[in-house]
Amino acid sequence: MIKTKTWVLILGALLLTALLSCLILYTRPAPGTVANIYRDGVPVRSVDLSLVTEPWEFTLSDERGANVIRVEPGRIAVIDADCPDRICVEAGWLSDSASPIVCLPHRLVIRIEKNAAAEGDPVPDTVSR
Amino acid sequence: MKKGAGRLTLDALFTAAALTIFVIELQIPSIGIPGVKLGLANIVTVTAAFLIGPWDAGAILLCRIVLGGVFSGQIMALWYSLAGGTLCWLIMLPLRRILTEKQIWVMSVLGAAAHNIGQILVALAVTRTAAILYYLPVLMVSGILAGLFTGIAAQFAVLRLRPVMKKHFLR
Repeated sequence: MIKTKTWVLILGALLLTALLSCLILYTRPAPGTVANIYRDGVPVRSVDLSLVTEPWEFTLSDERGANVIRVEPGRIAVIDADCPDRICVEAGWLSDSASPIVCLPHRLVIRIEKNAAAEGDPVPDTVSR
Repeated sequence: MKKGAGRLTLDALFTAAALTIFVIELQIPSIGIPGVKLGLANIVTVTAAFLIGPWDAGAILLCRIVLGGVFSGQIMALWYSLAGGTLCWLIMLPLRRILTEKQIWVMSVLGAAAHNIGQILVALAVTRTAAILYYLPVLMVSGILAGLFTGIAAQFAVLRLRPVMKKHFLR
């Protein structure tokens, strides 16, 4: 039998490790300025947030549903979605953090990275503006 | 452990209790991070593991997850719970043997942590994006704290129910 004191130490260490990882992960700055949007792990769109001069919006949709994404100078957010939990909308703006915005029901992930992951020009095109 | 109808009734009773707690907990609004919740139904799983046995606890957990998925209507959530529940149960098996009656809460804490790891694994498989791992530490913190709370509740339940069970069920 393991002593209760030992269990407290083990679980306390686990909690401390998790807390520290939270602190490190969520205060870590983004490695770049390009917002990459992934669906099913595949990059579908990239926007260089440092090149955005005026706000614009676009909708990403497929058979699972739609996410309305708004881009402003230096930041990006999901402003509307028809997923059941709308956690991606509640996540708010993503600007210089390495932590992602996730929409699990639509398998959508937005991350800020160094390079554009999706093919094509990372600058907003005139059609969707 | 008594066999047959008595044991089945006991398992059904625990499943009903777990399901009731689960449905009530659905009414508590989410704080915005998927997977972060109290997991009150875990009290029943841990209590059953110590009072009836790990196999019965596994059956109760499985029934609660499947019926809970049907009741809540969130089929996708069912897969997360199934993965989490399986890992939680797998860690319960060895813990059941080494934990004393005063350490029941430990099973709940480690079970909750295992449950969250299972959920993350499903989310990883579903989104195929490593960025999901950002949620792991957050879920670990919330899992450990929630598991501590439900674990202490389960420990009280086991210590109070043991005499009653001995008298009426376990002969």
